[in-house]
Amino acid sequence: MNECDVLVIDDEPVVRDAVRRVLQAHGLRVATAEDATSGLSHPALAGCRLVLCDLMLPDRSGTEVLQEILRRYPSLPVVLITGYATRDEARLALEAGAVDFLAKPFEAKELMESVQRALAGRPATQEEEA
Amino acid sequence: MRTRIGLQIVLAVGLVTALSIGLLATVTLRTHRQEMIAQLTRNADLLSETVKRSTEDYMLENRRDRLGRQIEAIGRDQRIERVRVFNKQGRIVFSSDASEVGHALDKQAESCFTCHAQDRPLEKPPVHDRARIFATESGRRLLGIVNPIQNQPACTTAACHAHGPDETMLGVLDVTVSLDDVDRQIAASRTRIVGLAIGSVAVAGLLLWWLSRRLVSRPVAALTAGTRRIAAGDLTTTIPATGGYELGELAHAFNAMTARLSEAQRQLTQADKLASVGRLAAGVAHEINNPLTGVLSYASLLLERAHIDPELRADLEVIVRETKRCREIVRGLLDFARQTPPRRQPTDLNDVVRRAVTVVMNQLQLRHVALGLDLADDLPAVQADPSQMEQVVVNLLLNAADALGERGGTIRLASCQARIAPRGHEPIRHAACPKGCDLLDVGTHVGGLAAIRILREHGGREWGFCLDPVYGRFSHVSAEPCEEGVVAPVACPQCRVTLVEPDSKCERCGASTFAICGPDDEPIRWCTRTGCHFTWWEAREHRGAAPVVEVSVEDNGRGISSEHLAKIFEPFFTTKGTRGVGLGLAVTWGIIESHGGTIEVESEQGRGSRFTVRLPLAAAEQARDAA
Repeated sequence: MNECDVLVIDDEPVVRDAVRRVLQAHGLRVATAEDATSGLSHPALAGCRLVLCDLMLPDRSGTEVLQEILRRYPSLPVVLITGYATRDEARLALEAGAVDFLAKPFEAKELMESVQRALAGRPATQEEEA
Repeated sequence: MRTRIGLQIVLAVGLVTALSIGLLATVTLRTHRQEMIAQLTRNADLLSETVKRSTEDYMLENRRDRLGRQIEAIGRDQRIERVRVFNKQGRIVFSSDASEVGHALDKQAESCFTCHAQDRPLEKPPVHDRARIFATESGRRLLGIVNPIQNQPACTTAACHAHGPDETMLGVLDVTVSLDDVDRQIAASRTRIVGLAIGSVAVAGLLLWWLSRRLVSRPVAALTAGTRRIAAGDLTTTIPATGGYELGELAHAFNAMTARLSEAQRQLTQADKLASVGRLAAGVAHEINNPLTGVLSYASLLLERAHIDPELRADLEVIVRETKRCREIVRGLLDFARQTPPRRQPTDLNDVVRRAVTVVMNQLQLRHVALGLDLADDLPAVQADPSQMEQVVVNLLLNAADALGERGGTIRLASCQARIAPRGHEPIRHAACPKGCDLLDVGTHVGGLAAIRILREHGGREWGFCLDPVYGRFSHVSAEPCEEGVVAPVACPQCRVTLVEPDSKCERCGASTFAICGPDDEPIRWCTRTGCHFTWWEAREHRGAAPVVEVSVEDNGRGISSEHLAKIFEPFFTTKGTRGVGLGLAVTWGIIESHGGTIEVESEQGRGSRFTVRLPLAAAEQARDAA
């Protein structure tokens, strides 16, 4: 029941649903949470292979969630999603330990490329920094 | 506030005037009285002497009855109150008032005291000492004068032998006259002077009241009313400078202050507008990106399905394409909202250009654009933020591609080192009137730069006029249509000081010139004749051409109309209709400006446009030395 591949934390229902639809269409099992607190206490967190987390959550910032996850599960890859797309934010997210940074809005293809890369354990650092 | 300043001045000055006039009147009256009494005393003395001489014979002859009648006769004169003769013992021997004959007077009595104050009596004291003023019981004032009758040889040898030869004083003649006339005259004088004093104080007060009303109260009331209007938020208030002198100056200063406040408020409003746009953009971007994520994800997910109706596929492709355009618009807004100061480093602009080209190459090929590169080999490095400069070149290339339209065309991208004469290129980044009012008008831009606002005047009307803020360029903007070729004097729109130079003549048409204080207070002058293309910036011309590195992007597209040219760097100005936000060139301009560079555009409708970016090389050479 708790078995899942990706945990999506985003306060916006349309984003959670859209991401779940895309990931499920590609055969991944998805769990969702609407804020930092419920995300960090989600039973699926311990068993999932990837976390997609929004940078701006109502209770805490995505960077804090990222640091908390990395403290508990150092090998769990996290991809940060944000509505503010700047090089600086991308750089900060990657410096904080995210494996990738995804700017909203994105196509299904862009989302899947990022997720596949993260699941395969290939960080996107060189490409983003170019 | 209710005790009026005018009333206070009138009261204060009125009081001082009244006191001065009162003092003057008192002194005058006193002097006048003293003079009159002195005159009367002399007259009385003369009279007394005359009486003494006229009665001398009777005395020598000891004809007492004749003497008594004579004194009585003299005493009948109305102006003479009394004439009497005392003997040495103080007994009244003769008197015009027969009832007192035979009475004796004490030596301490008022008529005797003058001479008998000391043990040994004075024989003949001066006239003013012998005179005395005293009042009767009925209150009338009298002047008495005593005249000692001294012993003479004739007295001792006379037949009567009344006096011995060893006596020096035989007696005293005492004449008393009335002071009624004098007192009447003095009272009349006093009435006249007091009347005059009251009249003068009243007239002076009225005059002062009128003057203070005209010179103080009204201007102060106007200032007060003006201040209230300003407090109520009306910054268009001006005060008529009618007071003259200090109050007139104050009114001028007040008007200048109001004008500057109004200008500052306008600038703040403008800055606030831009800041609000930034905040709004950031907020909107965040909100819009979420629904866009839903649209884009679902639409693109549907497109991934293998078996899909081709018609549906085409529709989905439109959704995906247009959603991606929304994404670009939002990113443009965010770029504009997030303009940051450049992180400068020695930068080879050729590298920047090449990177920008790789970013846009795909798009250019899709749009059938042929790109020609003409990069100078030995381009020196400039101090610049490479990623911001890349954004500039990308923006200019995409703009050029847009200008070429669907049929495509050619873009030439060139870099070179050049020396640029100030005329036609140098921006005037500081402009002030001689009194220091800032003339730059951030509300009116010409080619992205704040214009220089002045006030022109011709044929009895005044109108606002914005000078092109690039030296030697003449894209002026007039607030009202103005006739060409007329001499229209120029003033500061804030303090209204004239900018016309009396001793300077236009080298082209001979009309007078006007000048503003440019950067470092260097004067920059223009001709007062409208349409005359004379301008001179002595100090800048003296420094000569400046070394720059140029990057130009030229297209052979549709070109830009002249009315659009002045506005293309304004935020939210766009000719692309629904396909643009109007921020690309505003962001570009902002970046170049923050690098201390310039961006220029030349365009001809139907032939194409050329954008030229110039970064100063002075900083670049220092950078090379440092590197």
